[in-house]
Amino acid sequence: MEIWILIAVIALFLLWAIVTYNQLIALKNEVKNAWKQIDVQLKRRHDLIPNLVTVVKGYMEFERETLEKVTSARARALSTAGLREKVSAENQLSQALSGLFAVIENYPALKSNENVLQLQEELASTENRIAFARQLYNDLVANFATRIESFPSNIIASVFGFRKADYYSIGEIDRSLPVADISTRQK
Amino acid sequence: MLFLLLLLMYFSVVISLFLGMLFFFPFYFMKTGSLVFWNDPLYIIVLTGFSLLLAGIHFWFSASGAVQSVMKSLGAITPDPEDGIHRRLKNIIDEIHVVTGQTRKIGCFVIPSLSMNAIAVADLKGNAAIAITEGLLSRLTRSQTEAVLAHEAYHILSRDCMEATIATSMFGMYAAMLEKLQNLGEEERSGLHPAFFLFWILLKFSQMLSMLISREREYRADAASVRMTRNPVAMAEALHLISRNWRGSGMIGSGLEMLCIINPQENELDESNGFFSNLMSTHPPIRKRIDILLKMVRVSIAELDRKLTSGTQTVNVSSGAAEPLYHLLDPKNKWQGPYALAELAALPWLLPLTWIRSGNDKSVERASENPLINAIFISRLNTAGKEASEFRCPSCKQSLSEMPYEKTKVYQCGFCRGVLVDNTKIPRIITRREKECTERIKSLAKAVTADNQRKIAIKKLKKTETQLKPLTSCPKCHNPMLRTFYSLAYLIEIDRCSFCNITWFDADELEMLQCMIENRMTATLDLS
Repeated sequence: MEIWILIAVIALFLLWAIVTYNQLIALKNEVKNAWKQIDVQLKRRHDLIPNLVTVVKGYMEFERETLEKVTSARARALSTAGLREKVSAENQLSQALSGLFAVIENYPALKSNENVLQLQEELASTENRIAFARQLYNDLVANFATRIESFPSNIIASVFGFRKADYYSIGEIDRSLPVADISTRQK
Repeated sequence: MLFLLLLLMYFSVVISLFLGMLFFFPFYFMKTGSLVFWNDPLYIIVLTGFSLLLAGIHFWFSASGAVQSVMKSLGAITPDPEDGIHRRLKNIIDEIHVVTGQTRKIGCFVIPSLSMNAIAVADLKGNAAIAITEGLLSRLTRSQTEAVLAHEAYHILSRDCMEATIATSMFGMYAAMLEKLQNLGEEERSGLHPAFFLFWILLKFSQMLSMLISREREYRADAASVRMTRNPVAMAEALHLISRNWRGSGMIGSGLEMLCIINPQENELDESNGFFSNLMSTHPPIRKRIDILLKMVRVSIAELDRKLTSGTQTVNVSSGAAEPLYHLLDPKNKWQGPYALAELAALPWLLPLTWIRSGNDKSVERASENPLINAIFISRLNTAGKEASEFRCPSCKQSLSEMPYEKTKVYQCGFCRGVLVDNTKIPRIITRREKECTERIKSLAKAVTADNQRKIAIKKLKKTETQLKPLTSCPKCHNPMLRTFYSLAYLIEIDRCSFCNITWFDADELEMLQCMIENRMTATLDLS
């Protein structure tokens, strides 16, 4: 009799272990997939930048420096591997791009150029997509971390060596709170 | 036929409701013993089963295809990939797909209307779609559009829009239809048609349904939108803009109002608090919604109000290169010449519509009718570097070239400056205000309105038939085009092809129309 109870308890434990393990695997893969999504969007941005540079080049003889900053940031972002380095390179690229857009505002001919407008829209959209993909990724990483650290699933996690994924954190500059200055915002 | 089918279905719904009540409280009716066959349980069961089956079938069909039927009833179209602003809409929808991890596909539609509203629909099949009116789409900035779409997407993702859609498709759609019928046939309706009574019941049903839809869902969707876009001000601005404009009442039927971002009908119920209005209304007070949003960034509502009402017309984009001026008529109205063909090509005032007379025979023709001279125009077009389309200008007979106009594409004749516009694009163009209304266009518009008004008045007095004008033929199908006014309020003469749904505007007429609508230059006509 006692043997049967023991067997039942062990069977239940095994069942729970399997289910938990599978859930952890699913979460891990979701995190991985979300990271891939960020990659897809980053690649989209890298592909758009050369187009923008070629269109803008003719108009902006005086702003070589800004353009070079963008192209070199892109090259760096393309060549780096590893999450931390990549994140910092991409953040630099974002800054260089926003600098370029600020400069474009000073050129009326560029501002009303159909191609530039279209590229600007595409890049704005891509920036959003990167931000949203990052949001999704970080949410999933947080989920995964909670699952790994909380009892009792942390037992399975430590036995099978699940490790927390890194957050995609934004740079120090971006972290400062945006000031809601409603009077100067353009319509 | 369809109407009869609908009637049958609704009878079955009503009967099933009635019989369902009978089924649950059989004793009460048995005691009164009104009818003999009510006592036969088999009869009741068969009848109830049958009508429930019919009602169920109807429910399934109306609820499973709700996205399509709602979009169809609104006349919504899929976004045009060649249109800048529509492309932006598609981009934003793709961005939303990214933030949801591609778990749910959301379709997007554009409603060709000048009103400002957005609507989210989801159905049992798992289809979901967001529709936004041209008016809203064109007047919002990118971040405001993002906020509105995120709001609607939350309704879809949280599935609370599904309940509303099902409720709507059960009764609301038909209630909306009824409202349209009522508007259409005010004088035709002699007596009370039984169908109207039935529809009236359905209308009441749909109004009762709004009790089931909580106000909270709008607050939640606003919050979710801010969570996604991190921009409470944009959401507040969008709500403010929508609330100050025509929200589409009359165009969007009352059955659909719970799916909209702001109730198309303005009513006091929505704007008040308290238990009763909380129960009956589907949308919370807009002021409160904006207040909550603005509290997140510590901005007062008065500040927003001032900012939005003062700086509405800041967009001012120069239209690129200066337009070369073509004089349509030789100002002296004299025969000039003789010119050689090469000399003709150099003449700046030679146009396809210029009358020409060749040296040998004395016959007079339009320049475009002479193949040799016509070649000049073709080469002029080619040197202008414009891509020729397959359409030809109805008056000059030259091919039209594609031209970007107010972020969409129109076809323009390089000689007479007339424009060919697809009918679906007209509302877009009207709502967008990128092209400035210059003093010249304004005064032209005034003159044309006054002139046409006088013409109509004279025609009315004389009771003559419409004077025949040389009809232009459609650039696409070559059938004659119909010459009408854009509307009786905006007296711009346009040529419409009813087969291809395209409209030809002569030079400046499109700008004039825009200018008239923007400045409310309506004609006052005595139509009695």
